[in-house]
Amino acid sequence: MGGVEAISTAHPSQGDFYEDAVEKYGSSLERLASAYEADPEKRRDLSQEIHFQLWRSFERYDRRCSLRTWTYRVAHHVAASYVMRQRRIFSTLVSLEELETLPDKDEGELAAARRINLGRLSTLIRRLKPLDRQVIISWLEGMDAASIGEITGLSPPNVAVRVNRIKNILTRRFNRGGAYAE
Amino acid sequence: MSLILIRQKARKLHAMTRRQRLGSLTAPVVLAFFYVFSIKQFPHLREMLHALFAFALAWSIAGLYFLNRRAWSGEMPADAGFSTGLEFCRREIERLLDHFRRVLLWSFAPLLLAIVTLVMALAIAAGSGLFPKAIPFMTLAVVWLAAYLCIRARQQRELQRELDELRETESDNGR
Repeated sequence: MGGVEAISTAHPSQGDFYEDAVEKYGSSLERLASAYEADPEKRRDLSQEIHFQLWRSFERYDRRCSLRTWTYRVAHHVAASYVMRQRRIFSTLVSLEELETLPDKDEGELAAARRINLGRLSTLIRRLKPLDRQVIISWLEGMDAASIGEITGLSPPNVAVRVNRIKNILTRRFNRGGAYAE
Repeated sequence: MSLILIRQKARKLHAMTRRQRLGSLTAPVVLAFFYVFSIKQFPHLREMLHALFAFALAWSIAGLYFLNRRAWSGEMPADAGFSTGLEFCRREIERLLDHFRRVLLWSFAPLLLAIVTLVMALAIAAGSGLFPKAIPFMTLAVVWLAAYLCIRARQQRELQRELDELRETESDNGR
């Protein structure tokens, strides 16, 4: 890995790009990391990895796409890679169809104990496959279909369809979970 | 993130890659142990054992090269920002599948050959009294082999399904 070597031979604007990206999207990157990893210690590691790879990536950044698109792409790539590495033998990610029909593991006592709605939403999002996760996280960050398309590579109509499906499934499951909590 | 933290992270990633490389030495080391053990225990089968174990050892040493040449380290290329999420996920899954296949071919298969050779030697020398003592080892070896293959097959199937989905999405996009 050329990480350390790259520091001494870095393009002059590499650091500037990185600082700019962190200033503008730093808090979004933290939210993104938490949508991929629940454990605070591991999340800190993931967040550092995202920052490190982002810093490294700006060596090759040529403004072909916007700073936002580049930043989110790299961050999602790192996180998707992390999910694949961390994937345990019996832990599997689910498709949208499976998520809809899957029995809620949080039902019962655990769901009753879980009072923070955001936490429940994050738990559901963390069960999605990387691409669906990228779509919904970007949508939750307030991006439109075209921007999400630039990051994910999906066509805008495809993005819109996916956002709707994910939203509907999450809403249904969220409401179902809410009934248990009440 | 400061430059110091970036340097620390780079060192951590270096160490991780080194550990992965060292991990790939497990198969040849285990194989060498079986080799020495078998030659000592079954001197009358020396010729057959030499041939089979030497072949397995050479196979697994060659595997070190092929495994490390295109290791799936999870490390990201610096130009990853040029690819979209869809392309990146597809490539990562392809790399992971390729890595699994190479592990099976270059690490697991020679080990399997060594275990089969050892079990065969034990069976041939059944009269020596070592065979009953080796039953727990053989049972463990068979269970381990079966479990490993089942888990790997399951992972392969899952990854292949994910890959097919992504390819389908890509072709949908192109329409």
